[in-house]
Amino acid sequence: MAVAAQHSPLAEHIHPEPQGFIRKYVFSIDHKIIGIQYMVTGLIFFVIAGCLAELIRTQLLNGNARFLTPDQYNEVYSMHGTAMVWFVTIPLVTGGFGNIIMPLMIGARDVAFPWLNMLSFWLFPPAGALLFASFLVGAPEAGWTEYPPVSLQGPPGTTLWCLAIILIGVSSTLTGLNFMVTIFKMRAPGMTLTRMPLFVWAQFATAGLNMIATVALSAALSALFMERVFGVPFYDPNHGGSPILWQHMFWFYSHPAVYIFILPAFGIISEVLPVFARKPIYGYKMIAFSSVTIALLGFMVWAHHMFTSGMAPWLQLPFMILTMLIAIPTGIKIWSWMGTLWGGVIHYTTAMLFAMGFLITFTIGGLTGIMLAAVPADLHEHGTYFVVAHFHYVIFGGTFMGVLAGIYYWWPKVTNRLLSEKIGVLQFWLTFIFMNLTFFPMHILGLEGMPRRVAVYAPQYTDMNRFISISSYVLAFTFVLLFINMAWSLKYGKKAGPNPWGARTLEWMIPSPPPYYNFKNIPAVLSGPYDFGSPLPYIGLEEELEKAPGGGPLPAGAH
Amino acid sequence: MAVAGGTLEHEHGAGHHEMSDALYEEIRGHRLLGFTLFLISDCILFSAFIFAYLYLRNTIDHWPPPGIEGPNLLFGALNSVVLFGSGATMHYALESWKHGNTKLFYRWLGLTLFLGLWFLLGQGYEYSDLYYRQHATWAGSIFGASFFTLTGLHGFHVFVGLIYLSVVWLQTRAGVYTRQRFFGLTAATLYWHFVDVIWVFLFFLFYIF
Repeated sequence: MAVAAQHSPLAEHIHPEPQGFIRKYVFSIDHKIIGIQYMVTGLIFFVIAGCLAELIRTQLLNGNARFLTPDQYNEVYSMHGTAMVWFVTIPLVTGGFGNIIMPLMIGARDVAFPWLNMLSFWLFPPAGALLFASFLVGAPEAGWTEYPPVSLQGPPGTTLWCLAIILIGVSSTLTGLNFMVTIFKMRAPGMTLTRMPLFVWAQFATAGLNMIATVALSAALSALFMERVFGVPFYDPNHGGSPILWQHMFWFYSHPAVYIFILPAFGIISEVLPVFARKPIYGYKMIAFSSVTIALLGFMVWAHHMFTSGMAPWLQLPFMILTMLIAIPTGIKIWSWMGTLWGGVIHYTTAMLFAMGFLITFTIGGLTGIMLAAVPADLHEHGTYFVVAHFHYVIFGGTFMGVLAGIYYWWPKVTNRLLSEKIGVLQFWLTFIFMNLTFFPMHILGLEGMPRRVAVYAPQYTDMNRFISISSYVLAFTFVLLFINMAWSLKYGKKAGPNPWGARTLEWMIPSPPPYYNFKNIPAVLSGPYDFGSPLPYIGLEEELEKAPGGGPLPAGAH
Repeated sequence: MAVAGGTLEHEHGAGHHEMSDALYEEIRGHRLLGFTLFLISDCILFSAFIFAYLYLRNTIDHWPPPGIEGPNLLFGALNSVVLFGSGATMHYALESWKHGNTKLFYRWLGLTLFLGLWFLLGQGYEYSDLYYRQHATWAGSIFGASFFTLTGLHGFHVFVGLIYLSVVWLQTRAGVYTRQRFFGLTAATLYWHFVDVIWVFLFFLFYIF
């Protein structure tokens, strides 16, 4: 057979599964275990950072509250942002979903460098410990962006903050490198680039961003560290440095970073929508290439965060135009997803509900992004709650809706149990409604001029702030529902079997949970994974499900 | 059974450590791409600091700032020749290995280590001149900050490279590499050339520009 000639010697080379608890579950080199470790650690940090958010909202119940001192308030919102960005979102979408699902989707036995993968993970908990230890010595107070000169004068914890982010940055860079080689070199025979599932495309673009942008951040952080510890003048204008330099270096990373959050979520949505609409994805190539376009454009727009920092007016125009250009590839995705739903037989499972909720909330976040890209509007909105509303719509309404869709979609693959759809649907509606009730009024507050990052506010903002705070408590409660659902499912959940959704990507063709070696035989891939209604495009999978718990024949995949 | 590739039979009998040529080639491909990507990301690290240097330099009218002469062009040029020379000797070392001439390989590798060390000592002399005679310190000015940080980062890479090459030396002694399989040697050579190329930019930016 023609495909036999392409077989990979590495794929035949199967290492025995390590025995013993430590090698199996703690210092594991198995991408699936490492992915679960990322998910669990990320969710623990999510709970901590979520509690910090509720502290912020509790302070803001009153315009002149004494719940937190202004210094404590500064610490709390700085740590909330930092933890949510680097210790929750990025690890969940790259280290978590990327590790568990991506190698399965391309028909690989593991990532290219399993030991490096283990190292990447084990940099993560110490970095988190270092970050939260900064509360003991005075946590950073200059927001997650830590602009100098304020960050240079900040409490000692700011130095720990630098080290923690450098560590997690190295971890991200190594993961990016690892995924890049894995996707380039380890796809199953016949899986050409345009037959890759879209989640893999998204991970590919993200890996490139992680590999390049994160290193630039490490440089900026090292310089901040050197300046704080040794007094080396990079950013302090009193010694000839420039605070604007930090902003350039920081945003050169942190703008691409928002695409590090969102691209994997795009990938998750692109998997969930066709499965539950029982229809081929609409515009496969356009979705794939628009991910790469977004990643490339993401490097050219960083200064749109700096319109108010005193930059030359002639420089504002290109940054504004380039930023608005990103709306084109993003719009292509939104329309392609809607095209996928169009005429489909839609199954309203929890995963699908979150994916469809994503389409709405992410689009709102995208639209306010275009508003903020316009220089005249930005000069008015910068530093107000409008910006807070915008990025919470993108990160919560975008990435986190994607993450929740992904959790409900892939949970059965990882645990072989279904999550309760009853609790799931209830959680979706509560999350969706209260997410909007929490974050939408922030737009209005921002346009009315309420500044962000201030512990007190003028009396006219009181009613709306109380409304937001109360909504945010319900929003936090919806995550309690998720954790209850997970615990319930692990004990009582219905056995899922290998392919409960009748999906067509490779991870569903093997038992749940997948065995250590993933595939008994590495399959040959004959076409893309989204052609619902056609026979499955894989050869060599006949033996996979023989001994699968709750196995049975392969579902046809067609509805 | 093996329609499309891998089978489940473990190859972990006696022959585990004798991997086939095809398997070696595949793993070598992964490592080469991985190592190249690592060098690219390392290149970004230097680029970020070079950006910071150019940005800071652009904020003042005179460079180096008044009171500092800056590094000596002639000395720097001679020291650069030493480093570029070590790139050439490393190239010949790798070629000698490929041709199976072990004796010549050790000579070229030894010369590379010697030249690398010479470069570092030269840099040390330059630092002491700047520090003691010109009173240009790391924390003293944006000149010190950018010059010592960037050349120091590069010097650290040279230092790591010397350790790397020494390890490769010991590995060849221990018989880790054969005439056909010597990826560690290739990677060390790539790394050494990378450090050379970075210096081309740093030399231009600090001594000529």
